[in-house]
Amino acid sequence: MAEGLIVPFCAEHADYLTDESRCVGAAGTISFPKTGAEVAEVLSKVRGGVTVQGARTGIVAGAVPSGGHVLNLRGMNGIGPVRVDSSTGKAWITVQPGALLLDICKAVEPEGFFFPPDPTESSASIGGMAATNASGARSYLYGPAREWISALSVVLADGDVLPIRRGETFADGRKFSLTTQKGRVIEGILPGYGIPGVKSAAGYYAADGMDIIDLFIGMEGTLGVITELELRLAKKPALAGGITIFLPSEEAAICLVGMARDSSIKPAAVEYFNPSALNLLRCIKARNPSFAGVPELPARFNTAIYLEFHKENEDELDECIMFVSDALAKLGVSDDDTWFATGSKEMERAKAFRHAVPEAVNLLVAERKKSCPSLTKLGTDMSVPDSCLEAVMAMYNTGLLESGLESVIFGHIGNNHLHVNILPACMEDYKRGRELYMLWAERVVEMGGSVSAEHGIGKIKTAFLQLMYGREGVGEMLAVKRLLDPDMRLNPGTLFER
Amino acid sequence: MKIAVCIKQVPATTEVKFDPETNTLVREGVDSQINPFDLYALEEAVRTKERLQADGEESSVTVVCMGPPQAQDALREAVALGADETILLSDRAFGGADTWATSYTLGLGLKKIEPDIVFCGMQAIDGDTGQVGPGIATHIDYAQATYVAKIESLDKKKITVKRLVENGYEVCSVKLPIVITVVKEINEPRTPSLRGKMNAKKAQITTWGAADLEAPVEKLGLSGSPTQVAKVFSPPHREGGEKSEGEPDELAEKLFGLLKELEIV
Repeated sequence: MAEGLIVPFCAEHADYLTDESRCVGAAGTISFPKTGAEVAEVLSKVRGGVTVQGARTGIVAGAVPSGGHVLNLRGMNGIGPVRVDSSTGKAWITVQPGALLLDICKAVEPEGFFFPPDPTESSASIGGMAATNASGARSYLYGPAREWISALSVVLADGDVLPIRRGETFADGRKFSLTTQKGRVIEGILPGYGIPGVKSAAGYYAADGMDIIDLFIGMEGTLGVITELELRLAKKPALAGGITIFLPSEEAAICLVGMARDSSIKPAAVEYFNPSALNLLRCIKARNPSFAGVPELPARFNTAIYLEFHKENEDELDECIMFVSDALAKLGVSDDDTWFATGSKEMERAKAFRHAVPEAVNLLVAERKKSCPSLTKLGTDMSVPDSCLEAVMAMYNTGLLESGLESVIFGHIGNNHLHVNILPACMEDYKRGRELYMLWAERVVEMGGSVSAEHGIGKIKTAFLQLMYGREGVGEMLAVKRLLDPDMRLNPGTLFER
Repeated sequence: MKIAVCIKQVPATTEVKFDPETNTLVREGVDSQINPFDLYALEEAVRTKERLQADGEESSVTVVCMGPPQAQDALREAVALGADETILLSDRAFGGADTWATSYTLGLGLKKIEPDIVFCGMQAIDGDTGQVGPGIATHIDYAQATYVAKIESLDKKKITVKRLVENGYEVCSVKLPIVITVVKEINEPRTPSLRGKMNAKKAQITTWGAADLEAPVEKLGLSGSPTQVAKVFSPPHREGGEKSEGEPDELAEKLFGLLKELEIV
């Protein structure tokens, strides 16, 4: 076993006290294991709480330690070769949890494949993506990370190992039974709640007869440490195209989303930018040279919808183009008010444009923090059923108008999953924003939605989890946690308030 | 008003390879793009056309490119970005041209079009000479304004431009017809629209060879080039300088000593 695996936490480790949530925690010791065996060794040696970290790109403080030990997996970044089944053409890759999404993409691309989940932060670690069931814009067509993970190796709190392969272990109703590498049998009952039929990364996945691997995807490091993953890969589409459509109003944007859903064009992504998101880009482009690459946005561009298509031939892509042309004609919008990206360079530019909104928000909040250090942005991550899109948009707009709070709205409108970012100017704004957020969360739950569609619950949205599943549901989750981690050592403070 | 733009297709990479025999760029297997400076020229041409059309004046943009048949891709991209007509000057006789022969050939093509303004990028990112724009003006006897950062005004007879010069800007008024080479700060090239891309797909690319230009063969391509590249090589890496670390006061004293030793102070 490696010498000096567990070391005292010192000043040089300060970065490991925080993640993209900007919350700052505390820790006594830290380790950087290289293998699953070293992870097991750390877990058996350290006492007290252990916070598991990947690339610390999460924004709900899941990787922020609350005392105890920090188990950082950045050194476990191995990426195996792409394996292709020549008879079916299907492909897989085995990776360690610290491998970064961008490195995995680079490794599989020359082989003609890609890994579909695409969170904004391409430097996310794959272990973190599995632990939070990450998704991204393309999850509209491809679904979240869950659907692309075919096997996991999980080290439990006592150092025992649980190898899980999709399709091998299923719950019996809500009862489940797991056998560890050492032969220990763990039997338990899954939470009884129903998972909403929307994009969700809130709490443990639970369903009758479910594949038990899904319990560990989205568990936010609270049930065990993922030390190896097998990923299913998708064949790279022959053609990709992205059309950014600028519309005169939000109503027109919602109408276009409805048309896209009802059509046969099957977009890979359906994204949205509201008027204030476009205005924020106009402002930041004018004063920050690092945003010079954002194309000019004429004043008539009020809102925007981005449609991405992955197709196998020109005819299929032409069908999408025809759909957009017809839709624009029906909406009375000129097809000049569009940006059409094809080819990798233009697609990268379109992606940069979409990501510029959250980057601009982060910069603005960082500026405001200088005069008010306690300020953070308030970013919602909630999804609702298709039938509630108009209602949820109206709820956001009315709430924001009445409160007078500055905000931008953007994100995955195809999944009815919009990110409302409230941009407080002072702590009073922040307080009012939080109250509004809580009110919205209650209404979203009433609509049958999820309080977290892709970011997870972490340490800062635990109150929302209770709102969604009630005290009873959270209690049932806690019972599963206690079964696998009896001393409640893993990721203390995540999902469950301490 | 007839507007023309000259564009060049260049490798879309910074890792270029040279053929050691001919000292020319190896283009096979390398993705291509429109020379980035030419995109600014094209954007300014399209904006000028749009301004004129908004004032009720007829105007069109014709893009001219000299290159192999695959340079059609660059011309289609130009249509997506707002060009109306495209002309590819392509003939084996044009191969191996230096800047003199290139600007001569482009000039012959432009003479057939008779534009009032010709826009070019300030230089191409592969050759970096900046000679083709002024060369064209000379060959076809047009006025020229290089390194243009802004068009101040334009009427049927003259254009007033702001030129980027070494110590600032220079504003000059010049009679049409004119060749203008532009710098990056003149505009921000647009992103192609759906309509643009559809137009590009359907676009008819006109190809002119040496016979169409009625060109004397001895003035074209390699045989018409008074210059030849003798050798292409990567310059040796510069050795790193001396590095000092320490407290600011000590370092300042050391730096002062060095400057004195070198008789700089």
